Amino acid sequence: MISKSWGELQKMHRACRIVVQTLESLARAAVPGVATRELDRIAREQIVKAGAKPAFLGYRGYPATLCISVNEEVVHGIPGDRRLKDGDVVGLDLGCVVDGFYGDAARTVGVGRVSDAARRLMKITEDSLRAGIDRCRPGNRVGDIGHAVQAVAEAGGFSVVREFVGHGIGTSLHEDPQVPNYGPPGRRERLVPGMCLAIEPMVNAGGPEVRVLDDGWTAVTTDGSLSAHFELSVAIMAEGPWILSEPYPYAAKEAQA
Amino acid sequence: MSAQKTQRSQDRPVEAALRVSGRVVEQLPNALYRVELTSGGRPQITAHASGESGLLRLRPGDTVEVELSSYDPGRGRIVGRG
Repeated sequence: MISKSWGELQKMHRACRIVVQTLESLARAAVPGVATRELDRIAREQIVKAGAKPAFLGYRGYPATLCISVNEEVVHGIPGDRRLKDGDVVGLDLGCVVDGFYGDAARTVGVGRVSDAARRLMKITEDSLRAGIDRCRPGNRVGDIGHAVQAVAEAGGFSVVREFVGHGIGTSLHEDPQVPNYGPPGRRERLVPGMCLAIEPMVNAGGPEVRVLDDGWTAVTTDGSLSAHFELSVAIMAEGPWILSEPYPYAAKEAQA
Repeated sequence: MSAQKTQRSQDRPVEAALRVSGRVVEQLPNALYRVELTSGGRPQITAHASGESGLLRLRPGDTVEVELSSYDPGRGRIVGRG
């Protein structure tokens, strides 16, 4: 894990902002009847127009710009001919590269009218992400993040996926350390200023077990239950967490190393 | 995009050691014993007592439970009385 300089963090900030703005467009475009391939096209065009490069396209052979995971799909669903239906719960996961630095984020949205249970799953998952981000302070450890995420998700009556984890991010999409969304506090790597982590709880309405389909990518819940996924890239700053898609939240600093 | 979880060495459970029974043949220096195995493995190995209080002063002829080392098949650790 490499600490980023202030200048490098600016690049990550730009990449993350493009990702989150594109996700916002995709959330609006996710209406009943739209093909998932169409959302992928929108994502690619908006990223390129913003002067960035898709991060997932070609990553370990991944064939698209966007990961789109519907209902019981947890993560890494591949866009295709499937059309979204009223009531679908759709995970949108996107990454881009600006000047060699990566941004990675995801959110889950409801298509049309979704059930109260689905809405609650999405809310708790996002809450768990916020709880994890709140632990992103120097001196804390990576295990504190996962512990906070797990506590919120399980208090809500849901379960946390174990097989996939958050990750360091910077000049590659996936850097050390791994950031599990579960586990005991006080363990794993110590957080230091300048570290950047993509924190991404994947929360299932049923059991935590997942399996990967024959396409080699799409992860689904083994019991067929709904799953939600939220992700943000966060920098550890001396003052606390900086969600890199948002403006720098602390007092302006000019020439910080 | 989430990363596939890989196991770090400190997360991995210690491999379950192979447990066999044996009989103490001879007391050696440095709290070592020569143990004759009655089930599986080499017929004779050298073994340390694990430090359990019941395993002090083992004498030739005592029957014991031994965990075989995964690094050296000629060595083991006495973990209990047989």
